[in-house]
Amino acid sequence: MSTQRELDDLVKAGYEHGFVTQVESDTLPPGLNEDTIRFLSAKKKEPEWMLEYRLKAYRHWLTMEEPDWAHLKIEPIDYQAISYYSAPKKAADGPKSLDEVDPELIETYNKLGIPLEEQKALAGVAVDAVFDSVSVATTFREELAKAGVIFCSISEAVHQYPELVKRYLGSVVPHTDNFFACLNAAVFSDGTFVYVPEGVRCPMELSTYFRINEAKTGQFERTLIVADKGAYVSYLEGCTAPMRDENQLHAAVVELIALEDADIKYSTVQNWYPGDEQGRGGIYNFVTKRGDCRGDRSHISWTQVETGSAITWKYPSCILQGDDSVGEFYSVAVTRGHQQADTGTKMYHIGKNTRSTIVSKGISAAHGQNAYRGLVRMGAKAENGRNHTQCDSLLIGDKCGAHTFPYIEVRNPTAKVEHEATTSKISEDQLFYCRQRGLTEEDAVSLIVNGFCKEVFNELPMEFAVEARKLLNITLEGAVG
Amino acid sequence: MITAELQKSWAASLLEGAAGTAAAPWLEELRGQAGALIDCLPPVNRKQEAWRYTNVEPLLKESFQPVVQRPSGYGGEAPEAIGPHRLVFVDGWFMPELSDTALLPEGVTAGSLDEAIAAGDERVKNRLGSVADPGEHLFAALNTALINDGLFLHLPAGVKLESPVELFWLNSGGDAARLAQPRNLVILEPGAEAVLVEHHLPGAAERYLHNGVTEIVLDPGAKLDHYRIQDESEQAWHLSRIALDQGDGSRYHGITLAFGGRLARTEYHGLFTAEEAACTLRGLYTVGNDQLQDFHLDVRHDVPRCSSREQFKGLLHGKGRAVFDGRILVAQDAQKSDAELTNDNLLLTRNAEVDTKPQLEIYADDVKASHGTTVGQLEADQVFYLRARGIDERRALHMLCEGFAAEIIEHIHLESLREQALARLRQTLGEL
Amino acid sequence: MLSIKNLHVEVDGKEILRGLDLEIGTGEVHAIMGPNGSGKSTLSYVLAGREGYEVTAGEVLFEGRNLLEMEPEERAWAGIFLAMQYPVELPGVNNMSFLRESVNAVRRARGEEELDAVSFMKRVREKAELVKLPDKLLKRSVNAGFSGGEKKRNEILQMALLEPKLTILDEIDSGLDIDALRVVAEGVNALRGPERSFLMITHYQRLLDYIEPDHIHVLAQGRIIRSGGKELALELEEKGYGWILEEEAAA
Repeated sequence: MSTQRELDDLVKAGYEHGFVTQVESDTLPPGLNEDTIRFLSAKKKEPEWMLEYRLKAYRHWLTMEEPDWAHLKIEPIDYQAISYYSAPKKAADGPKSLDEVDPELIETYNKLGIPLEEQKALAGVAVDAVFDSVSVATTFREELAKAGVIFCSISEAVHQYPELVKRYLGSVVPHTDNFFACLNAAVFSDGTFVYVPEGVRCPMELSTYFRINEAKTGQFERTLIVADKGAYVSYLEGCTAPMRDENQLHAAVVELIALEDADIKYSTVQNWYPGDEQGRGGIYNFVTKRGDCRGDRSHISWTQVETGSAITWKYPSCILQGDDSVGEFYSVAVTRGHQQADTGTKMYHIGKNTRSTIVSKGISAAHGQNAYRGLVRMGAKAENGRNHTQCDSLLIGDKCGAHTFPYIEVRNPTAKVEHEATTSKISEDQLFYCRQRGLTEEDAVSLIVNGFCKEVFNELPMEFAVEARKLLNITLEGAVG
Repeated sequence: MITAELQKSWAASLLEGAAGTAAAPWLEELRGQAGALIDCLPPVNRKQEAWRYTNVEPLLKESFQPVVQRPSGYGGEAPEAIGPHRLVFVDGWFMPELSDTALLPEGVTAGSLDEAIAAGDERVKNRLGSVADPGEHLFAALNTALINDGLFLHLPAGVKLESPVELFWLNSGGDAARLAQPRNLVILEPGAEAVLVEHHLPGAAERYLHNGVTEIVLDPGAKLDHYRIQDESEQAWHLSRIALDQGDGSRYHGITLAFGGRLARTEYHGLFTAEEAACTLRGLYTVGNDQLQDFHLDVRHDVPRCSSREQFKGLLHGKGRAVFDGRILVAQDAQKSDAELTNDNLLLTRNAEVDTKPQLEIYADDVKASHGTTVGQLEADQVFYLRARGIDERRALHMLCEGFAAEIIEHIHLESLREQALARLRQTLGEL
Repeated sequence: MLSIKNLHVEVDGKEILRGLDLEIGTGEVHAIMGPNGSGKSTLSYVLAGREGYEVTAGEVLFEGRNLLEMEPEERAWAGIFLAMQYPVELPGVNNMSFLRESVNAVRRARGEEELDAVSFMKRVREKAELVKLPDKLLKRSVNAGFSGGEKKRNEILQMALLEPKLTILDEIDSGLDIDALRVVAEGVNALRGPERSFLMITHYQRLLDYIEPDHIHVLAQGRIIRSGGKELALELEEKGYGWILEEEAAA
């Protein structure tokens, strides 16, 4: 066990993105009631129908019970102690161009390595950066506009594209769906709206970086992506949050809608603050993500690399309604310190010849607990539905846990479901072999872990894959028991 | 949905009829505690993970008559056994006149639990209730709250039985639907070896509830092969819970073949508290119209170097439904555990349904643990291959189903029982 | 014995065979060669009656009977045997029981008496010896966990037991080393006779060194584009398929 100390050092490796930006904020005092929602809605100058939607959700939320924590150890959340609105002051009226953006914000994004400036963005990434709750800068909108792609904040979309928002908002994740989605519907602050018109292949990868900055602010992002018939879009979501002592709640909702022959690829790299070694602080990440393959031959693919947050509770799902539609879920989830992750997917096969693939790779180190929880449902009309699920767990150290909870429901005899799960560790033999061939232990672990995650990384767009690999290496450096 | 009130009132109606029938004061106490527990247990409805897919509401809408005295018989002959040791139970009560235990070696106890308790048998007093937790759910508590009779099997250290001990569970008819409530205690002392065979049959009844709990204690080095063929009537409700306590280096080899019952649930609860123990649990289930077969496994590895293998296969036809819920837990100290869980289901008809949930909870890193699940229909390629060799479609289907089932049945180490099982399977396949 | 006229076959809406003609007389051995994707395996599956192959035009007569109207098992009873390129695995189905089931089904259909266990066993052992299939494989599940060569020998064993009139060997040589190929070829040659016909589908000339055909056909783009004697195989071996395809295109 000569490696234990190195392992501990590395597991303790500091959170790289733990700095706080000094910006004056316009923050609502903590608390939640109908007035909070009216204030929030007024602040955003929302039309009446939007306020009504929020209030309806809020009233329903009051009737709901907080979910029973599936395999998670969690401190109770005081919803009255959270502030439901926080906006950097100078941005409250919305910047017209990058020049108007607070230079300190730009500096923050630079530290995170986000290519916000146009030069950098020439690499082909358009960024809708979300700083706490308000969208502060959007790049490349004009170029996208030429292709007819709408890419803006959801607040803006409420004003400019009310018909599209009304038609699709809440159509995949209704406000009644679950406790956190309901809360989100009531208090969502901002988020991203994407509409790709019929037959258009979005000319670049779209990307949003989320960042939770203000202490004790909950973040309630709302993302809505619609790909019309035959359209294609690839969307990247990256998240970082500074170090904080108190747990912060993040309850986002992401809705994807793919019409006939449309294709949506949604990639996430999440490295929010996981809390310290003793498990103090860190983000509670309770996100509802769901895609609806509404049209025939549509395709939705979720790829996620989850390395952050104290608690992650998310199940990016696909409703496969259209005949011949395809849903995919590729996930790498890493837990170390006292992190807990409960993640997976739900594949609802409704249409004929629908296919889904699930590849889940869980890596647990130190006291981390990692659970895959997934549902595959073959409805009575899902003729020739196919699912293949592979869940692999890698344990690093003897204090962590890896769990698999698949639910498989089959109502159609022509459907075929296959599920496999394995658990393994990095063996002394593997390490010795690599070291004997001249690799350092760190390199060896990195090599083995990256090999373990390869199927998932292959699904990420190139730039993201590189970042994900780097992130994984930082997270797990030397983590060998 | 089943409410706490419905659960309480249903249990109360059953407990009423059986009050004051315990054979010893300590049993009265054990029963009383379990009875009191029922009021605190959550209702067995879909909000409980263990009952998520199994709706027992229709069962709790039925009333049953507990059988508090040994019945006179069931109106039939003693069934034919494959070996010399036959124990017959009617409505959960041991029937000495239908049984034959004359050829059991000296020192072996096989017979009535009720009699052993009445005779002040310390072995029963010490171990009864120590393996199966009555707090698991309503039915486990109910069984304990109503303990009267059942099997008591005890093998002294080093005794190796050559022939199987064969149990026949039968039911007497009558106007009211009866509740058979056997409580079984099996103790194998160090190095003892036995084969236990159970046949669950309707006897003279059609509608009844069998709610059995079996506690099995395997001392170090003991070996038990335990085969169960559940062939209850189509109108019957069947609930069985088998709880294991395994000592160092002991081996348990269990197979349940489930054919009968309108709702049949089999639960295995394995707990390794001593090293180098091994347990294999296998099951085959067939379901047809209006039938539900439900299997629950909960295997806990609490200490290092134990192995468990769980393999369950289901053939579903008609409007049959199957539920499989298997959980393997490997605790933090249980290094070098080896656990493998598989569940395969064949859907033979349009309206069959299956819900399966194979789970792994792993808290130790140096373990081998895996699970695999499949649901599908017969492979078209396989059917074609057989037909291309001149075998007609129906026969091809039967052969492939038999082949599918054979992977469970072949693990029965008694040839005559294997043949019985195959014949029973063919009977079901013949109806397809 | 077999007469195929203007056969058109579609798979998933795509036309694979486009007007194939072929006549195989009693006692003849024919070989069909052709590049990948020319439709060779499709032809063998259509003749054996596998689902998923839609005949859109043409006819196939076997001893004067319309083959296309028959179920797969009826074709087997009539005497057609397909040795598959990738024999299917049947987990849990005992090989010996399967062989007996198959042999007796075919015997029943032919009005012959079923074989009792003893004489059947004797016959299987005899034939298994011929194809050098180890005894232990007879006790295992059909093809499950068999090596490529063992699967092929198991196919030839079945052929020897069923004594078909027309045997279709679909790439029987694929994945076999020389020794295994020789064993398989011996099994086939032992069955050759004036009453039996063979259709070999292969990619390589190599097989034809061991099982000598009377006629060779080249299948390309869904049709027989060239037929000839043994010399054609040698020519193909030397020059490949390109020249025939070019000539065909020119014509």
